[in-house]
Amino acid sequence: MNEKDFSEEFLSAFVDDQLTAEEKSRAYEQINRDDSLNRRVCELRKVRDLVQLAYRDVPGAPSASGHGRRARMSNLAAGVLLALGVAIGWALHAPGDDNKLEGASLEFVQPDPVQITSSQSAATVPSEPAQPNARRAMEVAKAGTPAKVLIHVNDGEMTHLGQALDEVDNLARYYREASINARIEVVMNGDGLSLVRADVTNFGARIARIQRDYDNVVFEACKNSIDRLRRDKGIVAKLLPGVVVIDSGVAQLMRRQNQGWAYIQV
Amino acid sequence: MLEVLNLFRSRSARSVLETHRARLYRIAYAWTRSPALADDLVQETLTKALVKSGQLRDPKASEAWLYSILSNCYRDHFRRLRETEDVDAIELLSDSNPEQESSQQQLIDKVRAAMMRLPEGQRQVVSLVDIEGFSYVEVAEILAVPIGTVMSRLCRARASLKEHLLPELRAQTDAGEPKLRRVK
Repeated sequence: MNEKDFSEEFLSAFVDDQLTAEEKSRAYEQINRDDSLNRRVCELRKVRDLVQLAYRDVPGAPSASGHGRRARMSNLAAGVLLALGVAIGWALHAPGDDNKLEGASLEFVQPDPVQITSSQSAATVPSEPAQPNARRAMEVAKAGTPAKVLIHVNDGEMTHLGQALDEVDNLARYYREASINARIEVVMNGDGLSLVRADVTNFGARIARIQRDYDNVVFEACKNSIDRLRRDKGIVAKLLPGVVVIDSGVAQLMRRQNQGWAYIQV
Repeated sequence: MLEVLNLFRSRSARSVLETHRARLYRIAYAWTRSPALADDLVQETLTKALVKSGQLRDPKASEAWLYSILSNCYRDHFRRLRETEDVDAIELLSDSNPEQESSQQQLIDKVRAAMMRLPEGQRQVVSLVDIEGFSYVEVAEILAVPIGTVMSRLCRARASLKEHLLPELRAQTDAGEPKLRRVK
């Protein structure tokens, strides 16, 4: 395959992560080898990032302007909701801050992924009517919205990596059993890269099985971390098959959270 | 008893819908570049969704379903007002504000202006894919067009955005957010 085999459509699909894992890793190899292809991909990514930037904060967004229905809502209710959002946010982030994975956090996140997005919007946009059945509403939302979950791995300890895979496994199985449409992305940067480095990881077979069993799980390695590894330690990272390389792990985390993905740090 | 159940159902459905308001608004704003019109479209979308929420047989489809209602509202709006509403006029109205002082805001304005120059169909596709991160299949469903159309519109949209934003693209390499590095 050479440069002219890559149509703009194909490259766009590559940038938007719309190719199969196999197509992606093949395309990545080619793109990495060919400077002009590389430049085209970069430009597409930049266009996408500019569009995202331009609409990150829009004038007159519901959070800024009081809408009729919301304006009638009492400040007390908004305050209660905000507190709830902050509490949920705190509960979710506390385990991550300690860089520990606990069964409790998994239990909390797993059955109720949409709750995280709801709590985020509650924290920034106190726009939902506060009511005693909010919990039930979230359960309805759980059934109603495709779940989008980011799992962030930036720690190279093998026990943690195993736990991250447990989490992926459990989530993917849960969504399949519950017939919930879901997308799961595992973003690896820093030492977390060890999870998918063919020469280091203990989990090659397990990752291959997850990729085979669940086509909605994508493993993404941060290109910046790969470069840093080469620069600082002279190690050329060889990745497991089917692992997608993304421009920057951190930028991806920001993009996805901005799109309403739930974030879990392992 | 049935009434109580219905009330309960509609209240919880409403609060679920409210959680989508901010994101729907962002897309509506990307399509119209008018805060007032975007607000109206989102309100109309949520009202319709609430009325129809009982008919939704497959709850899994609800997110794409909401955006498809928005897309219909948007289309209907311009069908109704084709002769009186001028998108260019809207653009001019919001073009002067003190925030323009900041270069970040200038960049944002340039991108939004470039978006408004795209044909409607392309603007819809590129905003659903880039801003909301919908998959091509979902976008095809939302806009009720074939997936091939989604891909070709997206490509054309990105090509003309690239053309219009070339200086900004170059500048962004030096000082942009989020910061991107060359992949090789």
